[in-house]
Amino acid sequence: MPHDTSLSPAPPAPPVSGRELPLAPGMSRANPAEVATPSRSSRASGGDDDLRTLEAGLDRLQTDVALRTPWWRRAIDGVLPPVLLLVVLVAAWQAYTVVAQPRPDLAPGPLDVAAALGQSWEDGRLQLAVTTSLERGILGFCIAVAVGTPLGLLLAEWAPLRRALGPLISGLQVLPSVAWVPAAILWFGLSDATVYFVVLMGAIPSIVNGLVAGVAQVPPQLRRVGTVLGASRLQLAASVVLPAALPGYLAGLKQGWAFSWRSLMAAEIIAFGGSIGFGVGSLLQQGRDLADLASVLGTILVILAIGVVIELLVFAPVERGMLRRRGLTGGTP
Amino acid sequence: MTAARATASSAVPAPVTAGTGTASPAIRLTGVGKQYAADGPVVLDGIDLEVAPGEFACLLGASGCGKSTLLSLIAGLEQPSTGTIEVDGRAAVMFQEASLLPWLSARRNVELALRFGDAGLARPARRTRALDLLDLVHLADAAEKRPHELSGGMRQRVALARALAQDRSVLLMDEPFAALDAITRDLLHEELERVWRETGRTIVFVTHNVREAARLGQRVLLMSSRPGRIVSEWRIAVDGPRRIESPAVSELSVEITEHLRREIRRNAA
Repeated sequence: MPHDTSLSPAPPAPPVSGRELPLAPGMSRANPAEVATPSRSSRASGGDDDLRTLEAGLDRLQTDVALRTPWWRRAIDGVLPPVLLLVVLVAAWQAYTVVAQPRPDLAPGPLDVAAALGQSWEDGRLQLAVTTSLERGILGFCIAVAVGTPLGLLLAEWAPLRRALGPLISGLQVLPSVAWVPAAILWFGLSDATVYFVVLMGAIPSIVNGLVAGVAQVPPQLRRVGTVLGASRLQLAASVVLPAALPGYLAGLKQGWAFSWRSLMAAEIIAFGGSIGFGVGSLLQQGRDLADLASVLGTILVILAIGVVIELLVFAPVERGMLRRRGLTGGTP
Repeated sequence: MTAARATASSAVPAPVTAGTGTASPAIRLTGVGKQYAADGPVVLDGIDLEVAPGEFACLLGASGCGKSTLLSLIAGLEQPSTGTIEVDGRAAVMFQEASLLPWLSARRNVELALRFGDAGLARPARRTRALDLLDLVHLADAAEKRPHELSGGMRQRVALARALAQDRSVLLMDEPFAALDAITRDLLHEELERVWRETGRTIVFVTHNVREAARLGQRVLLMSSRPGRIVSEWRIAVDGPRRIESPAVSELSVEITEHLRREIRRNAA
């Protein structure tokens, strides 16, 4: 339907006041002179500055002023509730032992437990156990990261391998790594290799799964933008996909550490003697052999405390910093 | 006084000639068609289009008319089933979402485009260039802010600076302001028009907003749906800055809307 219309600048219309109403189709109002004159004159004398201030005003209106609580306030908010709860729990425990007078070999009080820990500290067993276990836990975790990260990347980027190996990895994550202890003892004997094997079998699937999930959750639009911006395959992986997958990867690392630590304790409790050094799990097993419940409970608390300290000192700050940089904190720190 | 003169002419089947006709076109599409499956619907059919260097063309159509597909074809993100596409160099693209990398500041987002591109700039030079580009979109003060600290309009301006960082003569925009509120959109129209004048880019702007097309384009190309064809074209002689509330813009919008509705009605049967 060829047609030719020539649009002349608006027909004259009665002037209207400043208020703008939506125009119905076919309707035309507003005095061209009145509409156009101010914008033109301002444009002539630096319309760019005009637009700049207008935009600056709108930008100010549309962005929130970031309210950041001071660090000491956040520290108090974060530390005070758990510490208070701990004090209350210990006090209730002590009150129970004082009031109910249970048999001390079946229900030792907090003071007995502290005394048992003090005892093992004095003869050096506690320090030895903690350093041995931490050393193994951290080394095992680092090996798991070194193995799990490339494996996870490979799985994430190569779909056939992911389809083949994915269910196995998920299955391994569900399998309690204690189940590997008997096999490991038969393969490696009572040596450090047994301990590391069990730790790796516990941690690697978590790290791989975390990374694969992280990459799977990268918004496709980000990859598209990377392509449009002319990124090479390598640049896309290094500068777009990996950083975008970081939250999932970090969650995987956190879980990987938890599984390392648990697997380590399980291995140390079961595999005892031989050339295996003396770890916290061994300390626990020793307490059981001596029917020393205070020492057993004390060791459990030590294992728990190490987990909490690693979480608070290593993973929590890293995670918080990452989420804050991406604006993903849900309001509360 | 602002004024816009528009002439409409049929674009089918005769190929559209470039506006100025002097230089070779920045974009040339010949008989472009797109069909995702052999037995699937024809998304685009026989698109002939030339866009002159420095031209601002708006591609207008109802949802599902294939205008975004056409843009993807021009961007080289997808391949046409039939026909040929020639683009002067490659095209920079801007999407409806700003799609900034959330872990990088506004400046680093722009720098990323400079790094990915083949500009071969050293790090300090990239930094300076990124700050210049952010200043161009009036965001010099927000250079160190991260995307989540910026409003939607500011994010879209960072995306514009990032697209300009690629230093390509053709800029494709896929409904870049559709998700913004009316006040912000109005300002960004002015901003884009200014940037276009300052940088001399060839712009193809996809929209389903008639007024936006009438407000921004030197040419408005109306697309039909199923199959997507260019059915009408308006050329607007711009001899001064326009505004969305200009009477000439609303008059043209009325006319384009009538055509658009006629095209949509054809699908009712």
